[in-house]
Amino acid sequence: MVGKHASNKALVKENLAGYLFIGPSLIIFLLFVMVPMFASVFLSFTDWNFLSGLEGIKLIGLKNFSLMLKDERFRYAISNTFIYAIGTVPISLSVAMVLAYALNSKIYGKKVLRLIFFIPYISSQVALAAVFKFIFRDNGLLNEFLVKTLQIMQTAPDWLNNDSLNKIPIIMLAIWTGIGYELIVYMAALQAVPSDLYEAADIEGTNSIQKFRYITFPMITPTTFYLVIVRFIAVFKIFASINIMTLGTSYDSNTSMVMEIYRNSFVHYAFGYASAESLILLALILLITGINFLGQKKWVHY
Amino acid sequence: MNKTRTAFRILNTMIIALFSLAFLIPMLWMISSSLKTTPQVFTYPFRWIPENIRWVNYKTVWTSKDLPMLRVFYNSMFITVVSTVGQLIFASMAAYAFARIEFKGKRFIFTMFLASMMIPVQVTIIPRFMMFKTVGLYNSLWALIIPSLFGASTIFFLRQAHLGLPNELVDAAKVDGANHATVFSLIMVPLTIPALVSMAVLSFISTWNEYLAPLIFLTKPKLYTVSQAVRWYMLDEVQRYELTMAAATSSIIPILIIFIFCQKYFIEGIATSGIKG
Repeated sequence: MVGKHASNKALVKENLAGYLFIGPSLIIFLLFVMVPMFASVFLSFTDWNFLSGLEGIKLIGLKNFSLMLKDERFRYAISNTFIYAIGTVPISLSVAMVLAYALNSKIYGKKVLRLIFFIPYISSQVALAAVFKFIFRDNGLLNEFLVKTLQIMQTAPDWLNNDSLNKIPIIMLAIWTGIGYELIVYMAALQAVPSDLYEAADIEGTNSIQKFRYITFPMITPTTFYLVIVRFIAVFKIFASINIMTLGTSYDSNTSMVMEIYRNSFVHYAFGYASAESLILLALILLITGINFLGQKKWVHY
Repeated sequence: MNKTRTAFRILNTMIIALFSLAFLIPMLWMISSSLKTTPQVFTYPFRWIPENIRWVNYKTVWTSKDLPMLRVFYNSMFITVVSTVGQLIFASMAAYAFARIEFKGKRFIFTMFLASMMIPVQVTIIPRFMMFKTVGLYNSLWALIIPSLFGASTIFFLRQAHLGLPNELVDAAKVDGANHATVFSLIMVPLTIPALVSMAVLSFISTWNEYLAPLIFLTKPKLYTVSQAVRWYMLDEVQRYELTMAAATSSIIPILIIFIFCQKYFIEGIATSGIKG
């Protein structure tokens, strides 16, 4: 009896310790992730302009979602967001993969070169977007180079304001800043490829391109797959670069999902509608993560 | 054989160095423009080294009356340091609990934490805004600090570090009568320092560069963070490009310094969490 009592007490103590240790994180999580998450779901069923005060909340069921179907701006934002993701991820991953392979081979000044590739990734996106905005201006560095130095163009393209061109600086910036991260992950993956595979290939007399094609590339497919998902999700949340590039202009044909959520919530204060839009973003992220789970079994060869 | 190898190595290096120019040029353009006069920024041909280097631009943005970078740096530093330190303390405690303590609901809470990594901040930011408005934390640096004290990926990463340590360490201490607080603070924390440094660097960099949350929660110029300062200089009617670039360069320098000193930990942090997914 005494023994059972003692072990019961120990069990209570252990539980208490567990919750004390986890407590601070759990409280912040509940207050600032869980509660807001459910509040957003609730708000998405309402028509509420924040400026009208709490009395202004009207429950409208699924109307926000049916409005969204007709909202051309939001549809445009979704398609732009996909353009950004598809324009960015394949190019940036291919470049990062080749660079990682090259940086893993024997070269001079490896550390310095590596650092250079990392700088855009760690730098403030706002600062870099400002730099890109200036470089892509009508009289910016790029146009001076294309028109005056190389003279391959007659007139300077309007990279920032032209409806079809204005996605290019944003995609370029996303590629440029993403490579640093992808490079780190790829370099770690490359180091994990067993060296006896290369040694065996050396005996067979394969060249380095064949080695890349038949050993390296297949061995790092899990990493590629992981990076595709992570980068897709990251580009889905694209905001800072577009916000800065369109700052002070009325151009918005390069808008993205988060730009629309931001505009509707914190410019127009349409909290109900913006919450509904944010749930669509969440749904898309969950969808991609779901594909990740299914795909890992099917497409990845370990 | 040796000669061709060296030649190959030089060739390889040159190709990569050429490629690195694409990464360097925008940064060099930024620094160079930050040292010019306004009209010089967009004159052709572009001069990489300005005729007379104007360090005074930096003095202007750092001591400007409307928005001194000194003030901005203080704000960003305060938010970043308090968030990072707080998150590391809370996350290490949670990581210890997940790795070493058996309590009811452990699996459920852990799964919830993991799942929360998928929730984008845009979903939670509107209710957060309402909460902060209600309790008077709107336009307070704490509106940025408090939510960032919870870091799901930090908890996950540190839990891995805790699990990587041998059980015997904890068991032996327990035989000696040590409780969880002692085991945690005297054994586990010192042994997980490399992992803590990795997470500190990652958290520092991401908090420093934060944009959306400051944009929403801090609307008074005296509370602006570095990202907002660059935005402010861009929006300025006078359009002094060289000052925008001086602000941009200033905002990148602290990150660069930290990165150069902690490169190893930074890479470790990303590579481990990246590979394990």
